[in-house]
Amino acid sequence: MHLIKVHRTFSKIKGTVTRPYSHAAALEQNEYTSSPHYPPILDMSIRARKFRERGTLHRKIQQINTVEAKQIALNMPRYYGWKCVMLHENIIPYNAMPLVQCYTRTHFMPIEKLPEAYSELNELADVVVPEIKSQIEDAIAIESAGIQRNYTITPGMSEAAQKEDALAKSIVKQINRIITNNLTDKVAHILSTQVDYDPRHEAFWFVGGVDIPRKVIKWRQQYNWLKGRLFENIDRPVQYLGSPFLAVRSRLPLKPLVPHSEAENPDFKVQKFSYAPITVGYREHYRHGANMPGFWPGDYDEFGLLSVHGRGHILARKQSYGPEDNLGALHCQAMKSSFGWLLAQANYQGFTTYNDITYPLVTQTVITNGQLWSLYAYQLNTIVMHNEQMHLNPKHNICFGTTPLKLYETIENGKVKGLNEDLLKMLVQFYLNAPEEREHEMKPYLGKEMKVVADIEDDNKREWLESTFKHLASNRPRHNLLPETYLWEQIYKIEHNTRFFEAKRRPFECGINPFKRRLDEHLPPYIPKALRAFPKSKKKFEKTYYPKV
Amino acid sequence: MRLSPVLRRQHIDFMFKKHWLVQGKRIPIETGAEEKLKKKGIKVEDALEFIKEKPVKHERIQIVGPYERPLPLDENHPEYKEIPCYTLKHTNVLLEGLSQAQVLTKTIVADGTLPPKIEELAQLPAPAAIHENVKKAILSANVFDCEQKKLPKIKDPNRPAYNFPRILGITDRRRNQILTNKLLQLVEKSSDSDVTQSKYVVNDVESNITFNKEGDLIQFQELSHILVTSNKPVKHSVENDIPFVEIPDLFPVKHTVTLPPEHFYKEDSSYPFQPSVSVCHPHTTWLHYNATEVSNVYETPVTPHQILGRSLTHAFTIASAYAKQLYGEDTKDLPEPVYINCIQTDAQNYHFGVLELNTLDVDGTEGTKNVWYCKNNLKLYDSSRYFSGMPVLENYNNKVYGYINAFYNS
Repeated sequence: MHLIKVHRTFSKIKGTVTRPYSHAAALEQNEYTSSPHYPPILDMSIRARKFRERGTLHRKIQQINTVEAKQIALNMPRYYGWKCVMLHENIIPYNAMPLVQCYTRTHFMPIEKLPEAYSELNELADVVVPEIKSQIEDAIAIESAGIQRNYTITPGMSEAAQKEDALAKSIVKQINRIITNNLTDKVAHILSTQVDYDPRHEAFWFVGGVDIPRKVIKWRQQYNWLKGRLFENIDRPVQYLGSPFLAVRSRLPLKPLVPHSEAENPDFKVQKFSYAPITVGYREHYRHGANMPGFWPGDYDEFGLLSVHGRGHILARKQSYGPEDNLGALHCQAMKSSFGWLLAQANYQGFTTYNDITYPLVTQTVITNGQLWSLYAYQLNTIVMHNEQMHLNPKHNICFGTTPLKLYETIENGKVKGLNEDLLKMLVQFYLNAPEEREHEMKPYLGKEMKVVADIEDDNKREWLESTFKHLASNRPRHNLLPETYLWEQIYKIEHNTRFFEAKRRPFECGINPFKRRLDEHLPPYIPKALRAFPKSKKKFEKTYYPKV
Repeated sequence: MRLSPVLRRQHIDFMFKKHWLVQGKRIPIETGAEEKLKKKGIKVEDALEFIKEKPVKHERIQIVGPYERPLPLDENHPEYKEIPCYTLKHTNVLLEGLSQAQVLTKTIVADGTLPPKIEELAQLPAPAAIHENVKKAILSANVFDCEQKKLPKIKDPNRPAYNFPRILGITDRRRNQILTNKLLQLVEKSSDSDVTQSKYVVNDVESNITFNKEGDLIQFQELSHILVTSNKPVKHSVENDIPFVEIPDLFPVKHTVTLPPEHFYKEDSSYPFQPSVSVCHPHTTWLHYNATEVSNVYETPVTPHQILGRSLTHAFTIASAYAKQLYGEDTKDLPEPVYINCIQTDAQNYHFGVLELNTLDVDGTEGTKNVWYCKNNLKLYDSSRYFSGMPVLENYNNKVYGYINAFYNS
């Protein structure tokens, strides 16, 4: 009688059964060298090991091929998103300048005239200004008094601010139209530029060198191995959100305002701001980091030329802040929005907050309410300021900016009085500033063939990466609420141990930080049996393509 | 034997329920006390009069909020009128579509023909660079824009209860906004500077007209998503030997069907530009068809015929608001016709039309009539979206740009 009776062969078992004869170990031919090669001597202290660990992470992110995968990689360590310092374009608390300068690593230079780089555009601008002057006067007069418009006021912002922004937006659209129509025949780059109305600008980066929160120190104190590292640096994730009235972008980048070597000039050094951002008034919020310059990766026109922003929020500021701080607020808005937009553009070129840009990027920013115009020119030299890099990185960004200038004095009887031609000329020069082909490689950290996920050949991988990237960018709330320690638990379990008899099941009782969950720590989507591959696939879960960092 | 069936026989809840019923219907028992008291000459007072507190009338407090509260919609509202006004808004469509629009505006239709000048200009080939930029604009509107807002719910008619995941993406309003503005910018950039200097472009301006038709007061409230105006009125030389579609008889439907009667309205018409502005003459109006915003009163899906009707009522509104501003509110037949170009689009399909406004008197079907030249359903592209992670633009039709350009330069 047979104990086991099966009608099949065991192919897998065949593979595991080793053959009964053995090889002689082949001798390494080059085992001996003339001079001894020792492995490098490494500092094995925790600090140094952590430093090297971070370095490998940054290198891994650098080696990822596509823009989208890099953005997912930045978000890999946090399932619930980073606790980001929220830099909204329109929310500028009192005395925010030191924080904004430090967080964007920007040296601010007040100017009266545009920088040297614009001087060659003087002649052409002098020709253009008289041609468009009367049109612009008419447009301002029509927009201010000649058209009947019904504004829809939404709650959340003051009515005066919304009305000012609405008027400013319509004037900006007209001026943009007049200048671009005039310049299309004169300069080549205008025809192919794209103009976006109300685009979505977002940027995400890490800032190091800030004071350690008390909570973190307290947490570190309870572990022996962290005793010597109580005040070790931590990163603060920062997220910028903004939406200009209008953004002009083109295929080629603008020329640098100052040579890239100037970025290391010690004159441009920015004061450190190490206090917690809440001391200024900037709050924190759990979010996935997103970089968005107003379009998804793959668009043809990737470099910004000009963005125009509103200044309605100045009206909502308190009277007691005074005009000086209002001026500072405008500079802050310009630095935040210029840095934010350029950083997002740099991210689409394959750089991230961990991998510094290899060439400077430039943008021009205008802040206006229709009558008062402040012009800014911004050069992005560096985007790395995480952790110890805050102190080590010698490079700084540069922002040139004017005070608010009046485009016209008054409007009387439907006529504009006292148009400021010098300001108009500067504005025209912004449009005349032609982007140029760079001689170096633009995307050194992206793949040769694959630069965006649309280039990936594997259908599943491409679709998965695209949808995951968009899902992270949308910052949709998760299906479950964020983990939280309830107040009663804080009182009766943590501060006073009154419920010692209960089973310890909550994360804080098990010594787990629920926020330290990686993005891929979840069950992949289940494949129902009916949809599994034929015949008899044992694969229960769909494949995920999280970048391995 | 188990005890519970016995115990359950006396169901306490049941008893309570019955008790409430009985107690609720209790009749006060005559005790005879009242009669006795009356005999003794003591006045009997109703106890309830002492229990009930008289309601105190509080004065309405004026709350200073972040914005002014809208006035209550009642008879004291400054815009309240006794006579109802049949109102067509840009979010509503006519039941009978183009036919009803014809009756309401007293218009005959030249289907498939546009004025010869436009047809001529439309045949001029545009440079390849322009078409490249048009393609970029289409992709930017459909694919590359970063807006992530909730799109309408997906429903499968075969399993209506199934909930599909809600998709975030570019809303139809934003798509139309981007595409039409970029197309117009391109047309302007490629036109001569004399032409662009004589024109003016505004976004989102409202025009209203109120008129009488056979005893009914009718109002059209329209929003031009883009209104191109010029420094002199647009003129077209038109042919008269085209087969026109005459004004149809809608019987048994009345022409005011699906126009909700409103009691709050302004009686005068309004055109967004002041007459003192030099570039106030309407030239081309762009109307967006946003599927999520435009709907029938009776919740049935909007038909293609109804969409075509929108173009006519829209063009009529702007032309007659302008004519009323120019010649006065009570003008009947216009001394010379007012022309206006109209482009309606849902980002993919383009409906071109030219309205020749001859009369503002829309009573009956005889006498002077308005004329609507139109060329409908031109597709700019077959599809443009993310298809399995790749941006796609299929079958770009370069003829549409020619018409847009011709409309601007006519």
